[in-house]
Amino acid sequence: MKRFAVTALAGALSAGMLFASPNAAAAQSKAPPGGAYQQVSKLVPLPDFLPGLGTLYVDPATLPAGPFLAYDHQGKLVSSIYMIPLSDLNSHKAFDNLKIAKEKVDHVDMVFNAGHPGVAVPHYHIIVWYVSPTEAAKLAK
Amino acid sequence: MTVHSRREFLKVGGLTLVGLGFVPGRRWPAAAVEVIEMRSDAAGSRVWFDPIGLRVEPGTIVRWVVRENVHTTTAYHPRNDHHPLRIPEQAMPWDSGYLVNPGDHFQVMLTEPGVYDYYCKPHEAAGMVGRIIVGKPLGPGAQPFDYWTGRAGTEGWHRVPQVARKAFPSIARILTEGRVHVAGPAN
Repeated sequence: MKRFAVTALAGALSAGMLFASPNAAAAQSKAPPGGAYQQVSKLVPLPDFLPGLGTLYVDPATLPAGPFLAYDHQGKLVSSIYMIPLSDLNSHKAFDNLKIAKEKVDHVDMVFNAGHPGVAVPHYHIIVWYVSPTEAAKLAK
Repeated sequence: MTVHSRREFLKVGGLTLVGLGFVPGRRWPAAAVEVIEMRSDAAGSRVWFDPIGLRVEPGTIVRWVVRENVHTTTAYHPRNDHHPLRIPEQAMPWDSGYLVNPGDHFQVMLTEPGVYDYYCKPHEAAGMVGRIIVGKPLGPGAQPFDYWTGRAGTEGWHRVPQVARKAFPSIARILTEGRVHVAGPAN
């Protein structure tokens, strides 16, 4: 059943790509993304730069799923991240029309996270990368 | 180093001293110091206190130090978000607040004998808890997790999550080994 939920989530993410606004996408390619997005470290006690992910921005109205927009040290958009609590997956909750940046997707990671301020429950990070694994690895520090 | 990154807390008997910020030259009373590391793997998938179980003598200073990730050390006490009382009734509850950067630390002097159970706020649901026995295994922390069920004044208390219950080392093991470690990736 979990596999079904993840499949449904992947479908929702694909649907979300269709609704991305070109203007909004262009504005999001460099930090800060503007609009309703706020730097995550200003909202909750987290470091400005999260090793492995980058500097995160989110529209608080979309929590906990996001997307969180992640930027590298140079302020370049590197990924969109969705944070989905395990409890939501287990209850088969649907996530429709999740936004996404209009960038070419390189690959996707799905990584379990035990929790952190802002999403203080076990959840999955679904990371839609716009850079190669090699570039992503440079975010380790 | 921010004001909150080096929060220090010291309890001596019934007196509570709270210091915000690192104060050069500050001297703590001479006492044994035990360090508990607050750990995580690189992905944030696994989190744990190391050691997860510890036995100390009354008057010992216990210092929690962040190695990776963002953590808190927070006593199981109704004052901490309606968690059940699992430290000695006469002891002062603590809550470090979020310790954000590697090296951030928080410390408390434990003087009241008994069992002290504590948790990490963002990771309790993932089972990041710890147990300290000061002297003898006394008090609410030595009782079953739901000992308070039906008692007056406990309305609104949260139950300890199942994953956390399973994570606590037994009192018997702590008494036998003194320090109990979990098999984290770095161990």
